Amino acid sequence: MIAREMFEEFKARFGPLIDRADLPNDRRLFVYVDRTVVQYVCQHIFRELDARYVASIGTDDRPFSGKFLVAHNFAFDKDHVLCSVLTQLPEDDLKIDSITRMVPAASWAEREMRDLLGIQPVGHEYLKRLVLPDGWPEGSHPLRKDVPWNEVPADYDENREFEFGATPEGCTVVPFGPFHPTLDEPAHFRLYVEGERVRGCEYRGFMVHRGIEKLAESVMSYNDIPLLAERICGICGCVHSVAYVQAVEEAAALKVPPRAEYIRTIMLELERLHSHLLWVGLACHIVGFDTLFMQSFRIREPIMWIAEKISGNRKTYAICLVGGVRRDITHELKAELRVVLDKLEREWRPVVEAVSGDRNIQKRTCGVGVADKVAVKSSGLVGPVARAAGVEIDCRRDHPYAAYDRVEFDVITAESADVWGRVVVRMKEVFESIRIIRQCLDKMEDGPLGLEIKDELPVGRMGLSSVEAPRGESHHFVITGENNRPRRWRVRAPTYQNLQGVAAMIKDQQIADMTISLGSIDPCFSCTDRMETIDVRSGARKVWSQKELLELTWAKMDRETK
Amino acid sequence: MSSVIWRIVGGVLNVGIVLLVAPLGQGVLRKVTARVQSRQGPPLWQPYFDLLKLLGKEDIESGETPRMQRFAAYLSLATVLAVACLVPMGFASPMNGAADIILLIYLLTLCGICTLLAGLAAGSTYSLVGASREMMSMIALEPVFAIALIVGALHTGSFRLDTVLNGSVYGTAGVPWSGLIMLAVMILSFQAFVQRVPFDISEAETELMEGPLMEYSGPKLALFKYAQMAKLVIYSALFVRMFVPWGAGFTFPLAGLVFWAMFWAKVAVVVLVVTLVAATHARYRIDQAIRFFAGMFAAALGALVLASYGY
Repeated sequence: MIAREMFEEFKARFGPLIDRADLPNDRRLFVYVDRTVVQYVCQHIFRELDARYVASIGTDDRPFSGKFLVAHNFAFDKDHVLCSVLTQLPEDDLKIDSITRMVPAASWAEREMRDLLGIQPVGHEYLKRLVLPDGWPEGSHPLRKDVPWNEVPADYDENREFEFGATPEGCTVVPFGPFHPTLDEPAHFRLYVEGERVRGCEYRGFMVHRGIEKLAESVMSYNDIPLLAERICGICGCVHSVAYVQAVEEAAALKVPPRAEYIRTIMLELERLHSHLLWVGLACHIVGFDTLFMQSFRIREPIMWIAEKISGNRKTYAICLVGGVRRDITHELKAELRVVLDKLEREWRPVVEAVSGDRNIQKRTCGVGVADKVAVKSSGLVGPVARAAGVEIDCRRDHPYAAYDRVEFDVITAESADVWGRVVVRMKEVFESIRIIRQCLDKMEDGPLGLEIKDELPVGRMGLSSVEAPRGESHHFVITGENNRPRRWRVRAPTYQNLQGVAAMIKDQQIADMTISLGSIDPCFSCTDRMETIDVRSGARKVWSQKELLELTWAKMDRETK
Repeated sequence: MSSVIWRIVGGVLNVGIVLLVAPLGQGVLRKVTARVQSRQGPPLWQPYFDLLKLLGKEDIESGETPRMQRFAAYLSLATVLAVACLVPMGFASPMNGAADIILLIYLLTLCGICTLLAGLAAGSTYSLVGASREMMSMIALEPVFAIALIVGALHTGSFRLDTVLNGSVYGTAGVPWSGLIMLAVMILSFQAFVQRVPFDISEAETELMEGPLMEYSGPKLALFKYAQMAKLVIYSALFVRMFVPWGAGFTFPLAGLVFWAMFWAKVAVVVLVVTLVAATHARYRIDQAIRFFAGMFAAALGALVLASYGY
């Protein structure tokens, strides 16, 4: 079914309650529906048409249309269509029916909308704060267009803490986080434990929400944002910058030169290689097998070096711009890259064999952190977590971008639905990535690295882009805007969905399995928000609070802009 | 009179050797582990520096009951060193006749209890989980070592240290069934006695953040770490004395010295094996470990039955 046929199907079913649709091509559908019918349309798409839930996006469109806009995005993976169900809400009545009863995966996205824009999801059963700090005053919503990007409300209470629910009968509380050595990033799982068994948990995260989307919408320009997007994640940064530029290119209908597409593909696969190797190592470390951890890091190192040779950086390649790429891969680099890939393939094979035959590792990972097909569907789990449960989804094949439609590769799946399955999937995907890069090196044609864009990009257009990050689908949504910057940019990283599935994965498991279950989705939160300085001469210590740091940064920015 | 002096000198010698050798054992362990992992690894004498550095740090009182915390650290090293006085290390046990294997069993159990006390003293959730894991594995595991000693006692009809700790598990029967079973059991569960991977469950850095030890720092941590290093050496020495004591019968000149050197060479081999096993395994979960220990315990009981019928 192509997008137009889908639209006609909706039209036949819901009649005049479907307002209109944008059909930029066969693989994108933006359908505007009446607010009274949004949950039924979503239910129809999610249950009867069996689409995959991707993300929900709220946006303040008042300066342009006088209304707020809510989008629920779905993916029809078999039909290769991404569909966005849009609803307009008047300013004085910001209520929309919650879709979480039919689509549990939308829970976080709806809470986020409520925090940042004040759009009330009616019927949502767990409406605690998700993104905003607990001391943030009610009624202040930072993502609204009339709120400046750097505003901190006067009555913001920095010390107020999240209120967790009551502890279940017979359980003790084991706080997992906010800081834990296996997390590396702050997030708080309050585990309710009976003996050594986890009976339930409550999650509070977003402690270091950086407001990147707001910053982009208010002060940055189209070509600054790829660099900002790259800093969303320290592991899959290139994924985010590619996803963003693709969304903009799609909205503005720009056709990227083929050489640039190949280079993007190569960089994305290099990133996947280093990420998979890093993760397999970390998983081994979590279950106490440090030898394989060290070996996979040793094998990974040449990938970092070749990435540095190509882009100037081990990580954060800064290679993407709207319309193309910034750096070429020369003949010499191609030859070197081939050598690195040969060596990697040679060295990785024995590791895969060693892990596959190791009963000790299997004991710790088989039947642990199970997320079956039903959980994948309802929580919208993506990437290796979904593929390990036998759900064959991969954006590289289902929603091809860059040069993925011109290379051959297999989508690796497993049936066990547990941590072991995820290990197997990620280990084997390394070989597929090597295969993809080799094909790209062979097929890469000469030509320009980017488009020359002379005109302003068209305003008010929407673009969607799904990129398969090493840990799952990264989805970006862009509405183009004035002043050389997007009006709205929404990022949905794979962890956003996968983390919502963790509570079910760890329920009734041993507490010892918590770390590897959580580790198996390869969670990515954010970076730390405080620092300590020591005056070396006097030995005086000063711990900077978040507030002081912000003031310091703003003072510096003010100085520089003057 | 001379026997008292010999006991004091011998005890001091044993304690001194253990204190001196233990960090080196740890150094070897770290170096070999590093080599297996394609790393350079720290210099062999790094653990000495680590201990000195920790000993020189500020002594911070923390946790629920700081006094008990301090006591647990002192007791831990003291117990291990007391065991050192009982074990014959290349020459007869200094405490021969004054102590017996029952005391040895008590002291070995006390080592585990120190970890327990440390966990309770810290009072944090993670250390309590660590303490409960320690307790579970102690209950399952300590009898195994005790049975090994008792099998020896059954064969020799004596509780004397030098008699039992001299390969006595094999007895005098034609095929020493009980001794061989105990040897297999001890080899399989040895990692657990010295608290190394795959049985470092009560400390499990990535799960419990060092568990019972999480509130320890500075000198008190140094004592605990020292005790752990010494434990590796002492258990290895016990293993060698119980299962591979051969070489005592030499009569040529300087035979004592050769035997002494052989003893420490054997201990070094045991330490190396522990290292290699630790470097090539993942950590077990507590329920998996307990099931494993239960199997070991059953086998040990079987050996005890055989031993009591003279096999």
